[in-house]
Amino acid sequence: MNINNYPEIRPKSKLIKKIYVWVMLFVFGRAFQAASKVDPAAKEEFAKMPADFCFDMCVLPNGPHMIIGKDEKGKIRYMGWDPRGKKITLWMKIKNLDAAILMFTFQESSCVATARDRLIVDGDIPAACGILRLMNLLETLLLPKLLAKLGVKRYPRRTQLSPARKWASRILTYIRIVA
Amino acid sequence: MILPGYYEFCCRVKTVSGHRALENIPEALLAMHSRRPMIISDRGVAGAGLISLVTGAMKPKKGGKGVAIGAVYDSVLPDSDIRMVEDIAKIYREKKCDSIIAIGGGSVLDTAKGVNILVSLGGDSLMRYAGAGAVKKKLRPLIAVPTTSGTGSEMTLVAVIADHERRVKLPFTSYFLLPDIAVLDPRMTKTLPPALTASTGMDAMTHACEAYTCLAKNPLSDTTALAAIQLISQNLLKAVKKGDDLESRLALANGSALAGMSFSNSMVGMVHTIGHATGGACGVPHGTCMSILLPYGLEYNLHKTAHLTADLLYPLAGAGVYAATPAKERAVKAIACIRRLNQDLHDSTGGRHARCLREVVDRDGKQMVPKEALPAIARTAMGDGSQFYNPEELDYRDFMMVLEHAWEGTPLDLKKVIRGKKGQKF
Repeated sequence: MNINNYPEIRPKSKLIKKIYVWVMLFVFGRAFQAASKVDPAAKEEFAKMPADFCFDMCVLPNGPHMIIGKDEKGKIRYMGWDPRGKKITLWMKIKNLDAAILMFTFQESSCVATARDRLIVDGDIPAACGILRLMNLLETLLLPKLLAKLGVKRYPRRTQLSPARKWASRILTYIRIVA
Repeated sequence: MILPGYYEFCCRVKTVSGHRALENIPEALLAMHSRRPMIISDRGVAGAGLISLVTGAMKPKKGGKGVAIGAVYDSVLPDSDIRMVEDIAKIYREKKCDSIIAIGGGSVLDTAKGVNILVSLGGDSLMRYAGAGAVKKKLRPLIAVPTTSGTGSEMTLVAVIADHERRVKLPFTSYFLLPDIAVLDPRMTKTLPPALTASTGMDAMTHACEAYTCLAKNPLSDTTALAAIQLISQNLLKAVKKGDDLESRLALANGSALAGMSFSNSMVGMVHTIGHATGGACGVPHGTCMSILLPYGLEYNLHKTAHLTADLLYPLAGAGVYAATPAKERAVKAIACIRRLNQDLHDSTGGRHARCLREVVDRDGKQMVPKEALPAIARTAMGDGSQFYNPEELDYRDFMMVLEHAWEGTPLDLKKVIRGKKGQKF
């Protein structure tokens, strides 16, 4: 038997998909930090999080990651993409890269992803509820209505999110993401 | 039938069901190479003579191989506790047991699952196994013998155990937490009082209805949910009116197990979200919350799930009523059937089965849910994970609106429900 007839086949790395998800996680990470400063609902939601709150959203098995948490002053910070050395209190793990693509191209909302076992939550459940609400808020703020409606169960009405607040939070969040 | 783009379903619990099912426990233990089980139960179960019933059924026949009961712990508290789990694990080790028989309701089964983690995986602290998927190995044999027909814990992969020192409830989720065998014997629920039979039965009904109408539904959970609804709706009132009717007791036990199998794989929605919060804030028994809130949950989601709620009419009311009802009216009729069932249970239990939150009273007759408690319940509900499996979004105002109607006992004003997009993907 010639062992060379049986070469080791490595799966393709799906580099473009990985880069897309990495960019989306980077933007969302910066947006979490920005919204915590400019949007009243986001401020209120983050205020409920414990002082040692540190959240890692990652794609299994090898990343990318998005880590946000509270610093010593209690402010929300985007802490990059390397979980090493950080004391994570809440994980949201997307089972694979293709599931992440479905979520971040807004073909599937985070709730439907959870319902279909693509998104696993591990850690403090009330904090996870807050994060999912914040993700819905960010999708509403960052995306055009047509696109955001795909990602959330219910697009907020004027009585729930006034146009003035939406546009103010949207502009300020975008400025802080870029700046 | 709706086929989701992707779903997962797992239930590898062997079910032993029948009028003398308890007698099969020794054989089942021996098949798992176990000879020295520990019995875990609570005072209520022991007081009702149900532990004796199990041990009596386990006596070896003449010349047959037998098993010896290694230890009996019959003091599990109504709320599972992490320290208690650690204490029971010590007894298990000292008495050199090799398996567990859990006899009781949800709290006993959750405690037994916690004990099984410690005695199988080692260590003295349960904390390191908390969360989703932390238990990664096969555990020791666990036989679940439910004494209520409601929680469905004998079919679920979850255990919720409280750490009272830190005032938190720790969820443990793993496929390895599924019991090996569920024994459904009607003798175990024969002595359950009518009011408890009613509320636990409606708990199982809620598991099945929410499993069928919420976001994580799938064809396998649908099948078990519809079968569960049929068994429960046909037998609950009979069992409440005539507690020693073993046929209806057996049917209810099967309905509860099927509902457990269903919701363990498709999760539950807003009825459980508000129910957990009401139980946490006011101490209302879980089954009571479920029976009151179920029609409200179905009503709130009606604009998105009317086609699914309409399907519930067939198992709830039978083929005749289903065929005679125009398709557009079936969903509303199904909700009316559930309200009718609640009313019948209220009448059959002499008013002890509450129809709305303001009717819920404790043993001293004191109202358990004052109207002033509703905002606190709504705030607590905001932190419950089950809301994300609900078809429609809920915020604080939505929770308050539903709670106010459930407190008064009036149907929801559907015009007040803020609707998301139609055609939600499942």
